Amino acid sequence: MRVILDHVTKRFSDVTAVSEFSATLEDGELISLLGPSGCGKSTLLNMLSGILPVSGGKIYFDDQDVTALPPEKRGIGLVFQNYALYPHMTVMSNICFPLETQRVPKAERIERANEIAKLVHVDMLMNRKPAELSGGQQQRVAIARALVKNPRLLLLDEPLSNLDARLRLEMREEIRRIQQRTGVTTIFVTHDQEEALSISDRIVLMRAGVVQQNDLPQRLYNEPANQFVADFLGNPPINNLPGKIADGEFVTADGKGRCVLPMLAGVENGRAVNLSVRSESFVLDPNGPISCEVTRVYQMGKEEMAYLRLGDCDFRAYIDSDKGLKKGDTVRLSLKKRGTFLFDLETGERIR
Amino acid sequence: MSRQKISKFLIYAFLTLGGIVMLLPFFVMFTSAFKTTQEINRFPPQWFPSHVSLDNFKSAFAMAPFAKYFVNSVVVMVCSVSITTFTTILAAFAFSRLRFPGRSLIFSLLLSLMMIPFEMLIITNYSTIVDLKLWDTIPALILPFTSSIFYTYILKNFFDSVSDSLYWSARIDGSSNWRYLWKVMVPMARPSLTTIILLNALASWNSFMWPMYVISSDKNRTLPWGLQVFTTEAGSHPELLMAASTVVVLPCIVLFLFARKYIVGGVARGGLKG
Amino acid sequence: MKKSKQPVERELGERSFFSRIEPYLYLLPFFIGITVFTLYPVINVVLMSFKEGYSHLSRSFDQWGFANYQAVLSDPKFTQAIGNTLKYVLLVVPISTCISVVIAYLLNQKLRFSALFQTAYFLPMVTSVTAVGLAWKLMYNKNFGIINYILSFIGIDRIPWLENAAWSIPALVIFGVWNIMPFTIILLLSGLQNIDPQYYTAARVDGSRGLRIFFRITVPLLAPTIFLVCITNTISSFKVFSELYPLFNGKPGPFNNLYTVVYYIRYAMMENRKYGIAAAAALVLFLFIFVFTMVQLLLQKKTKKR
Repeated sequence: MRVILDHVTKRFSDVTAVSEFSATLEDGELISLLGPSGCGKSTLLNMLSGILPVSGGKIYFDDQDVTALPPEKRGIGLVFQNYALYPHMTVMSNICFPLETQRVPKAERIERANEIAKLVHVDMLMNRKPAELSGGQQQRVAIARALVKNPRLLLLDEPLSNLDARLRLEMREEIRRIQQRTGVTTIFVTHDQEEALSISDRIVLMRAGVVQQNDLPQRLYNEPANQFVADFLGNPPINNLPGKIADGEFVTADGKGRCVLPMLAGVENGRAVNLSVRSESFVLDPNGPISCEVTRVYQMGKEEMAYLRLGDCDFRAYIDSDKGLKKGDTVRLSLKKRGTFLFDLETGERIR
Repeated sequence: MSRQKISKFLIYAFLTLGGIVMLLPFFVMFTSAFKTTQEINRFPPQWFPSHVSLDNFKSAFAMAPFAKYFVNSVVVMVCSVSITTFTTILAAFAFSRLRFPGRSLIFSLLLSLMMIPFEMLIITNYSTIVDLKLWDTIPALILPFTSSIFYTYILKNFFDSVSDSLYWSARIDGSSNWRYLWKVMVPMARPSLTTIILLNALASWNSFMWPMYVISSDKNRTLPWGLQVFTTEAGSHPELLMAASTVVVLPCIVLFLFARKYIVGGVARGGLKG
Repeated sequence: MKKSKQPVERELGERSFFSRIEPYLYLLPFFIGITVFTLYPVINVVLMSFKEGYSHLSRSFDQWGFANYQAVLSDPKFTQAIGNTLKYVLLVVPISTCISVVIAYLLNQKLRFSALFQTAYFLPMVTSVTAVGLAWKLMYNKNFGIINYILSFIGIDRIPWLENAAWSIPALVIFGVWNIMPFTIILLLSGLQNIDPQYYTAARVDGSRGLRIFFRITVPLLAPTIFLVCITNTISSFKVFSELYPLFNGKPGPFNNLYTVVYYIRYAMMENRKYGIAAAAALVLFLFIFVFTMVQLLLQKKTKKR
């Protein structure tokens, strides 16, 4: 099912949690709503599920306007961060619960519950109570309960954040597998960029209730729309060198570090900018435009992480181990085109 | 003996002695229930009855309609506890989960009503019962005890502790508030409900002052009130009185032995009376 | 983003008719009981206390005024009742609290048979006061009672517990203490269980032992609970009635000398049929309870802040 959000807005008494959110989610896609906590992604999810009424805008499921529909009439499945399993019911009764309300006959209920339990691999746990399950198993049951009624849309609210690191990886793959098997349009809310990048067909990155970028995962990383997107994605975080443009040259704030880059061509003189470069986008190059000092080097796997200084800007770069850099060296670098961006220092708007 | 052992011994000795003092009235009651008048009026006292028989119970039940009192007590208790439990569940759910204007204001007003002593309400409630033509009837013992702010408060606290997501999960799965309440909340609240029901049952069973005000005829008395009336008839036969008292007290003791944890936990949370 | 109030109203406005009245349907059964038997009586009793010359038959009264209060406060019976009630409270509350602190402290140690001890100490809480009172009456018997028998071992002559005006107060107080102890011990025990065991460890490391720990660590840390217990017990002791009833065949004391406030209310209402007087007496009782409840609330707020 295709989901269309048209200028959806949510105002609480004095804050706007979601502002004019518009997006189209194609049928069968897995979309991540990504953003720091408090960015409005859970609010948006709650509006999609009908838990919260919208303050403005429209929500369409295919051609149906569901904006005013109560949650039980939207035909969605929702998995909460804490799983929200009914503690007094067995796994079987938990999975059957949504079907009971739909008055599905008992035999069919059990059959469908078993079928979905097999899909999420909890079919051998049907008679246990939630307290007797591990976190990952509870998560699977919660997904089964959300899927058993064949929802038009599956909503997952930070589903992995209560799991330990190893299980998180495993469940990530599982969710992807289950989603592909069922083909249900899925919205996955998370604050974890790695989760979002690895699982999604598309990512909507939000900040303070406003969409920053709605794009494919790779494009989000390689073509960030603004400073916030560039900062949010990537580990280690992107290097930011604040400075300004003077006579076609990039000059650091203290005026001591400067370099000429091809990408600067055409940028107006005197504009305050952030030169943002991913750590993997530096190349040692005797003829490179940047001359900087090495302040620290340490081994990171097959590469070395060098701490470098240009003017008053510190930054980190991955360097080939066999170059043998030492503290105190002066090196020359050039920048790869990929992973090098220029943002306006004030507005964060992308210039190059 | 080491110092520690001596102090441990002293603790046990002291607690045992205190325990005996606490249980002494029950001991006197139960043993006297089987004694003869002569055995009771003996000094120094005779600790145990010479032979055990149910004669005193039979005589007491013959002299006053204790069987009727017992049935009345059970009827009043069952009715008032089940109605109160029902109204409490509904009200606690509304205050905890449903939205309506003035919810928290109304609830704090109710809480402040909790400090009003029942003694202060008796005057009006007595007139109300008379006006309703219910004076000296069994419903007079039930109607004033069909809703309790105190129990609602306890249950609401439990409901509040249940995660929101459970509610929304159920709603998204098509569950109405009503179904969610009875299928999810009530089963989950079983420990709290047990406590409430037990405390309420005990309070109803032992209730004395209100029946004294509104019940005058023998056939409508409950056990504690019937027992006090019986004292005038059995004044010279303490053994019959003790047999009757045993009938009043024993069910509560049995209940306590089985459900000590729930009762003690409930009392620790805020007291016996609602 | 002009009006901040708007969205809230909108949320309510969007809900269906049923979902808007649904909460009231849930509250209805509860509020029928509360309104008829708690809310209305509270208002009515206050009004009643100011109705002069109220007749319970015709439901008429002469005028509004303070006559009932004047009558109550100048009635020697009521002054006696207040005096007796205060005496009872001032004896029962400190005695029961002191004994209960010690017993709660001992019960809180790691003991074998703790279930047995708990049962012994908590049992009076669940049994009918009026029924057990009859057993106490038997124990207080001057000639054959078990209490006088035990006292005879230490050379004390037979005490006319229930026959003598002077001894009737101690008799009532001892029964009252016994009756209120389980409740007190339970509250103190839960207070003790909230004390961080680290304090005890620290004291032991410093070389403190036994009684010293009890007085320097336990009692001060338990002080808020002790105070709360005192207030709750004061409130409930002000309402003393059911303890008194069985001891003296329903009379307040052997020579009607033990009137308490609640007894006075019953007397004014049932024997004299003076509802206005009873209402005024009930409001005086409430005044006492109100003051102590306020102190309790203030204290709870203070301890919560900590």
